[in-house]
Amino acid sequence: MLGLGNPLRGDDGIGPRAVEELARRGLPEDVTILNGGTGGLALLPVLEGWARVIVVDAADVGREPGRFVRFTPDQVHLARTPGNLSLHHAGLSEVLALANALDRSLPEMVIFGVQPADVGWGEGLSLPVETALPALIDAVIAEVNDPQYQF
Amino acid sequence: MTTVNIDVHHVTRVEGHGNIVVDVKSGEIKKCQFEVVEAPRFFEAFVRGRPYYELNLITCRICGICSVGHNTTSLRATEKAMGVEPSEQTVLLRKLNFHGETIDSHVLHTCYLVAPDFFGVPSVIPLVETHREVVERALRIKKLSGDLCAMVGGRHTHACAMTVGGFTHTPTERELREMQARLVDARADMDETVALFSTLPWPDFERETEYVSLKRDDEYAFIDGRIVTSDGFSYPIEDYRKVTNEECVPFSTAKWTHHNRESYMVGALARFNNNYDQLHPRAKEAAAKLGLKPICYNPFLNSAAQVVEMVHCVEDSIRIIDELLTRGVQPENPPEMEVKAGEGVGSCDVPRGILFHNYVYDENGICTEANCVIPTNQNMANLNHDMQALLPRIMDKPQDEIRLMLEMLVRAYDPCISCSAHFLTVTFV
Repeated sequence: MLGLGNPLRGDDGIGPRAVEELARRGLPEDVTILNGGTGGLALLPVLEGWARVIVVDAADVGREPGRFVRFTPDQVHLARTPGNLSLHHAGLSEVLALANALDRSLPEMVIFGVQPADVGWGEGLSLPVETALPALIDAVIAEVNDPQYQF
Repeated sequence: MTTVNIDVHHVTRVEGHGNIVVDVKSGEIKKCQFEVVEAPRFFEAFVRGRPYYELNLITCRICGICSVGHNTTSLRATEKAMGVEPSEQTVLLRKLNFHGETIDSHVLHTCYLVAPDFFGVPSVIPLVETHREVVERALRIKKLSGDLCAMVGGRHTHACAMTVGGFTHTPTERELREMQARLVDARADMDETVALFSTLPWPDFERETEYVSLKRDDEYAFIDGRIVTSDGFSYPIEDYRKVTNEECVPFSTAKWTHHNRESYMVGALARFNNNYDQLHPRAKEAAAKLGLKPICYNPFLNSAAQVVEMVHCVEDSIRIIDELLTRGVQPENPPEMEVKAGEGVGSCDVPRGILFHNYVYDENGICTEANCVIPTNQNMANLNHDMQALLPRIMDKPQDEIRLMLEMLVRAYDPCISCSAHFLTVTFV
C-alpha cells in the first residue's frame, strides 16, 4: 500500500495521511505500507517486485472535492507534465510512462484517486477531503482484504 | 542589428526554480541574467534552539539529493564544536556512504538531465525511445548507489543511522561482500557511460575563472581537508568566510559569492581541476577518453567531470570495502563526549561543490547560531558571468538555439536551487 503526495501542499498530502491512518488501523502482516512522498522517478524501483500495489494519490478525477475513484492504470489516460520534465515534477503518471517505455512489467495496480479541493502551500487537508478520509480508509482496507487477492 | 528577447520562466531539468532573462536591443545587451526565484528555506533560523544531536537530522532535509552530504557536513561541524573525533571505522563508512550519494547524484544529472539536450529530446522518458540502453544503465547505476547508501546509512535518503561520533547501525560482512561484487560488475556500466559521454559534442566555450574545492594530502578530497583555489590560495576550513564573501543581489533569492576574482566555480570540475593527481587510475583513463585535462575552463564539461568522478567513486568504494573487510566491521558506541559550549565548522565537497555548515552551541549543546553556505549559491555569480560571456558569441543564432545554449549552460552547473535559496533579503539598488 503506497501513499503519494506532499503534505506541505494541502490535499496533495492525502497519500501520506492515508498511510498514517492505515498504519494506525493496522493491515495484515503480508501488506507493506509505504509513504512514497514525492519520490518522482525514484518510485519506479519502489513499485517493482510486489505481488500487488494499492496506491492512494490526489488526482483530478473530475468529481467534487473529497470524492475518490478506484481505477486501474489501463482504465484511464493519465495526463503527463508537458515537455521538459524536471524531477521535482515527476509523479505517478511519469513513473508509469517510464515503466511502459522501458517495457517493465509492474505489479497489478489499483489506484484510489482523491479529488483535492486545494493543493496550494499549507499543511492539513481541506474539510471535504478530511471528511472523506474514513470512507477512503475503509475502501482501501476492503481492497486489501478482497478474497480474490489472497495469496 | 540583433534583437533577442528570451524569458525562460522556470528552467526545466534543474532542481528548483530559476529564470533566464535576456534582453538584447540593436546588438546591445541590456540584460542577461539567471534569476533564482525559489522561496527561501530558513533552515539556519529553525535549527536555533535545537539540541546538537538533532542538527544533522534537520539539515540533511535541505536536500533529498545530497542529503548524505549535508548530514556528514553537519556532523563534522558539531563534532568539531564538541571536540569529538570519529573512529577510523566511522571515517571509512562515511566515505563509503558519501561515494554512494556522489554516484547517485552524478548519474541523475548526467543521464537524466543533461543527456536529453544532446539527443534532442525534452526529457528522460522520450529518451527511452531513442537511447533505451542509456536509461536502463542509468537506472541500474541509480539502484546500486541507492542501495549502497541504504546499506551504510540505514536508508537511501535522509540516513537514519548517522549520528554524532559514529553510526547506530553497521553493515554486515555479507552485505559488504555482496555490495562489492555489484560494484565490480558496475565497471561495465561505467565504461559504457564514459564511452557515451566521450562522443557528445560539448559546446566550445571557455572562460577563465577561479576554482574552489577541498584538498587533502592523502586522497581526492570529499570530506574534511583544506580549502584551496586554482589561483593558489589555501585556507583552513574555519576561514571559509574569507573565501565565500556572501552578498545579496536584487534579482535572486540565492546569495552570490566571490573570492580572488568577480566570481568562482565549485563542483566536479573544480575538484577535477584542483585534485586531478589524486584520482583513481581508472578515473584518469576515463578523463583521457573524455578529452578532459586539468585545468579545464569549459563549464559545460562539469558534466564530463561528474562522469570521471563516478568512475573514481566506484573504484574507491571497492577499495574501502576491501579495507573494511580486512579490518572487520564491529558495532561501535559513539565516543565519550562532554556536551559543552563551542563553535564548529564542517566542510565537505558534496556532488555540486564545496559545502560549509557552521554552528555555535551553548553550554547545554543547544544551537544558538547557524550558517550554511551551499554550493549552488557559490556558483550563481560565476554562472551569470559565463552567460554574459557566452551570449555575445551566440547572439546571431536563432532565438531557440540561444535559449537552448543558455539552458544547457545553467544545467551544466547542476544547480540545486531549492537548496540555495535560504535567505530572503531584497536589496533595492
